Amino acid sequence: MSITLDQVTKRYQGIPVVNDVSVEIGNGEFFVLLGPSGSGKSTLLRAIAGLTGVNHGRIALHGRDVTHVSARERGVGLVFQNYALFRHMTVADNIEFALRVRRVKRADRAQRRKELLRLVALEGMDERLPAQLSGGQQQRVAVARALAHKPEVLLLDEPFGALDAKIREELRRTIRQVQRELGITTVLVTHDQEEAFALADRIGVMNLGRLLEMGRPDELYTRPATRFVATFLGAANLLLARQSKSGIRFGSQQVISHARDGAPVGREHEVVAVLRPEEVEIAPTREALDANYLAAGTVEEVVFTGALERMRIRLTNGATEAQLAVANGDAGAFIEVTRTQPEQRAFQVQLGQHVAVGVRRIHVLPTPLSSFTACAASESEVDVLSHQPLLVELATRMKTRVASRVEPALAEGKGECSSREDSFSGAAVIASSPGALKSIECLLERGAEEVFVLPPNAPSPQRVLIHWADEGARAATLAVSASLLRHLSAEAIYLDVMPHGTPDKQRPYGMRALLDARSEAHAVHGLEMRTELRFGNIASELGRQLGESTDQLLILGVSEISGLAQRFGELLSGTPRWPLLVVYREPEVAA
Amino acid sequence: MNATATAMKPLRQPSVLPGFGLTFGFTTFFLSAVVLLPLAALVMMASRLHWGEFLEIIFAPRAMGSYRLSFGASLLAATINLVFGFIIAWTLVRYEFPGKKIIDALIDMPFALPTAVSGIALTTVFAQNGWIGQYLEPFGIKVAYTWIGVTVALTLIGMPFMVRTVQPALEEVQRDLEDAAETLGAGRFHIFRRIILPTVLPALLTGFTLAFARGVGEYGSVIFISGNLPYKTEITPLLIVIKLEEFDYKGAAALGSVMLLISFIMLLAINLLQAWGRKRQTGAGR
Repeated sequence: MSITLDQVTKRYQGIPVVNDVSVEIGNGEFFVLLGPSGSGKSTLLRAIAGLTGVNHGRIALHGRDVTHVSARERGVGLVFQNYALFRHMTVADNIEFALRVRRVKRADRAQRRKELLRLVALEGMDERLPAQLSGGQQQRVAVARALAHKPEVLLLDEPFGALDAKIREELRRTIRQVQRELGITTVLVTHDQEEAFALADRIGVMNLGRLLEMGRPDELYTRPATRFVATFLGAANLLLARQSKSGIRFGSQQVISHARDGAPVGREHEVVAVLRPEEVEIAPTREALDANYLAAGTVEEVVFTGALERMRIRLTNGATEAQLAVANGDAGAFIEVTRTQPEQRAFQVQLGQHVAVGVRRIHVLPTPLSSFTACAASESEVDVLSHQPLLVELATRMKTRVASRVEPALAEGKGECSSREDSFSGAAVIASSPGALKSIECLLERGAEEVFVLPPNAPSPQRVLIHWADEGARAATLAVSASLLRHLSAEAIYLDVMPHGTPDKQRPYGMRALLDARSEAHAVHGLEMRTELRFGNIASELGRQLGESTDQLLILGVSEISGLAQRFGELLSGTPRWPLLVVYREPEVAA
Repeated sequence: MNATATAMKPLRQPSVLPGFGLTFGFTTFFLSAVVLLPLAALVMMASRLHWGEFLEIIFAPRAMGSYRLSFGASLLAATINLVFGFIIAWTLVRYEFPGKKIIDALIDMPFALPTAVSGIALTTVFAQNGWIGQYLEPFGIKVAYTWIGVTVALTLIGMPFMVRTVQPALEEVQRDLEDAAETLGAGRFHIFRRIILPTVLPALLTGFTLAFARGVGEYGSVIFISGNLPYKTEITPLLIVIKLEEFDYKGAAALGSVMLLISFIMLLAINLLQAWGRKRQTGAGR
């Protein structure tokens, strides 16, 4: 491995800007770190270069641990967005800088410089000053300079940011060519997905300091695992759908699934479906569609962009509309469509025209947290609950909606809970109250799979404690935790407790279980978390840790509803002062 | 990103603000009335002397001694400021520490303080029984009433010029440049010597020029600390004042013209040096 990052964390004023990032980059690989500004990608790059220290974790280059090695001695080449050329030196002096520092002989320096200038197609520019060159040429010089000392790793920090579109493409080609010719391991940081697609062998998408997903460009585009990646890489319509054994349903409309996810489909549940705009087909009537019918709609907006036509269609079937969510969380359903020239010629549309909408391909995200449903005894309470800052923040970041639902059974002191099975959209949300435990149990009985207990005005958590009561709940708890943590800039800690008086021989098993869980979380969900093993009583240990500060969140996994009161009764008996997410999955019956 | 590209400008540029004619006219008028006319009067006055008389006055041993002190002490003070002014500016730009705002404000004090006040204060401190002077005395170092005192006064007066010119230049040095040099394997000294220094050199020269010019013209603070011994600790401005008090206007004008000439030559030399440096950095092509 050329670059190995192991749980790298960097905090500024206590807030993690790079949060538990682990990645291995192979020899000669072109790796692109993609993310919006402020996602921590540049900080991570600077950490690899040695210009920024890390608070936690390890960095190795070619198997050599360089975590505490200075930038001077790491031997990497770094290219900056603003070129960072030495303006008082000629091109030749700039390129030879690293060689001069290393006291390389004059003739050897000149020869290396010639080679590099040929490589970046700037022969004969030796004696120019940076100010006499165009932006593109300056960046080529910067690349040549960064390669002079034959670094093992080339790092590029938004190298095309300051250039216009034409030059950008030209330089992109040069960099790709140079990289192939030298076979040098390269990491490029960018916020431009097109750039990432054009250059990368592999892309790692970052948001809120976390490395969310990694993979080949085409894999990430067609099968993203998270909402963020689905919408950041290209355009995507995110829709809430219900998935069951018989396929995918949008409202009452059954659309046969083309999704290829291996997740076992139990009873019908809500999922997030990704529809790429180019996978949507429109036709004058339902019968004229080649693809599966989704809904009827009217054309609201048409934009001509050259090769493609982009339009927005408002879906008009009443039944469908209620089940759809768009990016801003409104239930009003718009769908983005792009069409090629031949498609446009085959069926020309006018504004306001009624059309039938079909889908060629649907991708279902593996995330178990699809949306939220605020539940309370009265409508005014539901309203207050659904406007809680933490819930609004989460829903916005998850690009999902908060539905509301009046549950008379939640009224205080009533305690009546009909055990009628019901379908919940996403996670049920309730306000923290003295009867929280009863309410949780009631909602779980009624068919909710996750219950989120929210104290009033809870701050955005900085620490998430994760614990599951038994092995049956492990997989689901990890999946839900991963899904939630992708939208928070918090640290994740998996806590397990062994009873007091555990014999020493047993102790390694506890540690082993923790580490296994950690690797599973990393392998399956890309979630990095820390692990802690304590001794004593689980409820009191959790209570003690949660008592330390209020900006924490607890995720509890159970596979038996009664287990909640038995094991955590002490913890949940009062009014929880921190947000709590209970994950419940019935034990699977072996087929 | 291209801060240096604006170095050369045509005489008249289309500008968002109208009124080039008016402002240029005002500039010429103002410069003439306040700078050129008085200087011309000075030269005129001096030219009433015969050559012989003129040379005799300006090469008189007492006058020569005063030139040596005036220009020597000013150069020395400006050089001291070059080093320590740079360090102060560096500290203010690169580090965060409590009380930074207060220190930053203190830098400007010599600008505002009447020079006589600083002169008296310095004399009190550096006199043989003063706060600092008493500790220097045993080593045989006398500051007040010697050329060292003159240099100390001129250093104080020139310091803010240096700091205030270098500060913005240092703020503009991109941290990326240092980072780039570091990844290329350069050590701290190398980065300072090859990257930072060349970038702030023009500002350093400007600061040096200003501090030097201020030192040559300084009168108020120096006459208190120098002791004003003829041939030894007498600065040229004082000699001029003495001549004026003796109603020897021509003699005063002659000495004034000499100061004018030497200052002009030195400032011109520094400016040319700077222009050459800037040209090298910007490149002739733009």
